[in-house]
Amino acid sequence: MRRGSIASLLGIGIVSGGIAAAVALAIPWLPVSASKEAGRIDFVFWFVVTICIVIFAVVAAAILYSVVVFRAAPDDLSDGPPIHGHTGLEIAWTIVPTILVTAIGIVSAIVLSQDDAVAKNAMNVNVTAQQFTWTFSYPEAHGLTSATLMLPRGRETVLHMQSRDVIHAFFVPEFRENQDIVPGLTTTLNVTPTRDGTYPVICNELCGLGHSTMRSAAVVMEPAAFDKWIKSQTKAVTSPSAATAGAAVFKNNGCAACHTLNAAQATGKVGPDLDKLPAYAQQAKQPLASFVRTSITDPNAYIQPGYPKNVMPQTFGKAIPKQQLDALVTYLINSSK
Amino acid sequence: MTAATLDPHEHQLTPAGGKGVVRRLLLGPGFIRAGWMFCLFGAIGFGLVVGFRWWGGWHPLFDMTPITLVSLLVAGPLGFLAGIGAFDYWTRYAIGSPTRPEDHSGHGARSWRDYFRVNTDHKVIGVQYLVTTIFFFIAGGFLAMLVRVQLARPGSHFFDPQTYNGLFSVHASLMIFLFVIPAFAGLANFVVPLMLGAPDMAFPRLNALSFWLLPIAGIMMLSSFVVPGGAFACGWTGYAPLCSSHQPLGAIFFNQGVQWAGASSIMTALNFLVTIITMRAPGLTFWRMPLLVWANFTTSLLVVIATPFIAGSQFFSMFDHVMHTAFFDPNNGGYPLGYQHIFWFYSHPAVYIMMLPGFGIMSEVISVFSRKPIFGYRLMALSLMAIVVLGFSVWAHHMFTSGMSSWLRVPMMVTTLLIAVPTGIKIFSWLATIWEGKLHFNTPMLFALGFLSMFVIGGLSGVMLGAVPIDIHVTDTYFIVAHLHYVLFGGSVFTIFAGIYYWFPKMTGRMYDERLGKLHFWLTFVGFNLTFFPMHLLGTEGMPRRVADYAPKFADLNMFISLASFGLGASVLVFLYNMITSWKNGPIAPANPWRALTLEWQVSSPPPIFNFDEIPQVVGSPYEYGVPGAQHAILAPSPSHEVEEVATP
Repeated sequence: MRRGSIASLLGIGIVSGGIAAAVALAIPWLPVSASKEAGRIDFVFWFVVTICIVIFAVVAAAILYSVVVFRAAPDDLSDGPPIHGHTGLEIAWTIVPTILVTAIGIVSAIVLSQDDAVAKNAMNVNVTAQQFTWTFSYPEAHGLTSATLMLPRGRETVLHMQSRDVIHAFFVPEFRENQDIVPGLTTTLNVTPTRDGTYPVICNELCGLGHSTMRSAAVVMEPAAFDKWIKSQTKAVTSPSAATAGAAVFKNNGCAACHTLNAAQATGKVGPDLDKLPAYAQQAKQPLASFVRTSITDPNAYIQPGYPKNVMPQTFGKAIPKQQLDALVTYLINSSK
Repeated sequence: MTAATLDPHEHQLTPAGGKGVVRRLLLGPGFIRAGWMFCLFGAIGFGLVVGFRWWGGWHPLFDMTPITLVSLLVAGPLGFLAGIGAFDYWTRYAIGSPTRPEDHSGHGARSWRDYFRVNTDHKVIGVQYLVTTIFFFIAGGFLAMLVRVQLARPGSHFFDPQTYNGLFSVHASLMIFLFVIPAFAGLANFVVPLMLGAPDMAFPRLNALSFWLLPIAGIMMLSSFVVPGGAFACGWTGYAPLCSSHQPLGAIFFNQGVQWAGASSIMTALNFLVTIITMRAPGLTFWRMPLLVWANFTTSLLVVIATPFIAGSQFFSMFDHVMHTAFFDPNNGGYPLGYQHIFWFYSHPAVYIMMLPGFGIMSEVISVFSRKPIFGYRLMALSLMAIVVLGFSVWAHHMFTSGMSSWLRVPMMVTTLLIAVPTGIKIFSWLATIWEGKLHFNTPMLFALGFLSMFVIGGLSGVMLGAVPIDIHVTDTYFIVAHLHYVLFGGSVFTIFAGIYYWFPKMTGRMYDERLGKLHFWLTFVGFNLTFFPMHLLGTEGMPRRVADYAPKFADLNMFISLASFGLGASVLVFLYNMITSWKNGPIAPANPWRALTLEWQVSSPPPIFNFDEIPQVVGSPYEYGVPGAQHAILAPSPSHEVEEVATP
């Protein structure tokens, strides 16, 4: 190989590597990083991307150089040199990639063990996924539930996740974390939020027809603001006033996603309009109070014409504590009158 | 068309009179008999189900799910196969009636009609495979266009969720089970026996049967759109319990379609294994086999070992759906992750089933069009074997975030990353093969170089996904969609196109139009990159796959991708036009237009009906370009093809 050809090969390699590096750097590939785990995952990402760019540059340079330099004239019927192999080269391109992938494997395994380690003061949140809603509850705050995931900044949180029907997945791109939620299992995920803000919670495993609507939000806030939120919510749901408690239960269980209720400024259109509850009860020929309660705990018992069966989760009866359920029923009756 | 001339055995079905004609049409093998036998077997299936339900006193008597399964998806297709004549010889043998002496009337093609019957000629079957798979490629591509219509703008409602989820599910199933896997089987069917110096495959009747299973599988998957309740809508992975207990009737069309395609795949693979092991020409040792033969040998090992696993997973899933068993129902002791383990134990090796034959095509094309021996031949063959072995130890990298035992992640990551090593060896060896060669940029070579560059991108994004922390972020996002299309389109489909252009002269006896071929390549190459490269970005930014709607911030990129994908779709029209017009009117092809050394190019284009007048004697490597006086094989001079046509009485 002549010196000139080595120089031009190197040149093409540097140019194609440079273009690939420019693409990697100029485009904002990753969303903002909002968790400690995200920082480590981003490190692995850029570590591997760097190796990939180098390999890509080598291959691109070899192809481009060959295409330009070794092009044969159409009437050139001669053959190339009969080179059958080169043991040294073959050993080199076995060993070097082995070393590179081993390095990637070691870095990944270290990051994985760091992300899997659970801090002693970690907070627990129970996550319940079902077609097509999310519910988050806080066992350390007497089972307070919420339709959005509220998290204090800087504190490691362990999500204990369960599914009521099919496989779902919890995904927050800003946390860089994905975890499937499998019926029959409790899967866990550790998150240590580092940046205040509201981020999308996405169901990332095809879970049925409403899959693309199964979204919620993760709100990261100051620890003090979080404690304040916990207190106000606990106070609200345990409030002796059915109006306050019921409104909080209605909001926390995500009813507004599917139902319309003026009192709660809810405008969902998937399920029946709750402002018309008295009329529905009449059609069902049941007393209003027991009709409302049954419709929550056993939604398939009576299906309002025009709405499909099996859409509303059949598990609220178990999920909502009795005292809160009473408040919710009273709230709905009073609001729809 | 193979051996269009010189056939002393014109169809000997001399119609004696009007009655004989009707009798032959109704009772002779063909589409008419296939039609009524389909109905007959379907009716028997219907009767069995209803009869048993009546006998057992079950209600309702007419339950659509088991009736559809038994009558339409199992018994009917068997009737079709019996009617078309796939079982005729074996049936006669089994019932003890005298088997007809083989007069080879089911061999070769004399007119286009011969492609529509059970034909035992591997060359005819190869063409049948390719035309059928290209049909399903176009159908699957059309579904992808519809997916892109829906995704062009956020919040659009071109399709209801059931239809939309069905579109991408059927798209993937057709592309995988009815295009990539069988298209390679088709190319190999045509080429492998020729490369071995063999007159046909080891089991020609089995070969014919394995082809006829394919249209059944394809029509089953496509027709699920018209089933009440809609097509199966749980993705081609069919994860339980969504697919096993929350789906309309269409789900069992997927379960059963996979069974028919899988059975076809297993039969073909067995056939290849026996053919390659036992029917090599004298002198054709394993270390002298062309790498395409090596590739199909290793692929067939994968198919035979792995495919029964997906068959198992689909049976269990279907039992849960139809018979209310609880393999994957956690409320009754089932284990949903069990489905994924069994499914991926096939479906990861399936990625190599869709790659290795393409590697084989690459080695042939790159060596011939670089006019150089393949670099590091033995290491190339050994790395195929390494991929087979390692390929069985990486399946759980599809499940890093699935909730499986967490200790399993690191070992699976290590094997996944290590599989990049034999793959890298192949890429570097191809680069070394073109180095200092005399490169001729005919269409097959363009697609080969396109493959080389695109597959590197797909391979590198695969290394990224192999690293667990990165996978935890981008799994199930558009990054996966980008990666798998770089591997399966930039990888497999490019090699299929390379193979079709490369062997087109041998298959049809005519040359394709080089200018249109190059146009097709450039449209595909550019359209492919514009469509799939931006998907990496969508994925890392957090757009999930398999959604009918997405956040408004992804709107511009999605519109761009949709427009590019329509261009990519249009490029297929150039390919089709070129194939059809060239097959009809292209210039007559010489026996060896590419000056290649392998055996298939040493016979006429198209090859004679039994391939070789005399079994060739192999004397050296198939890649000795540039070695003065080197020969791969010595062939007897071929005076005429009539000689070997003497039928055994």
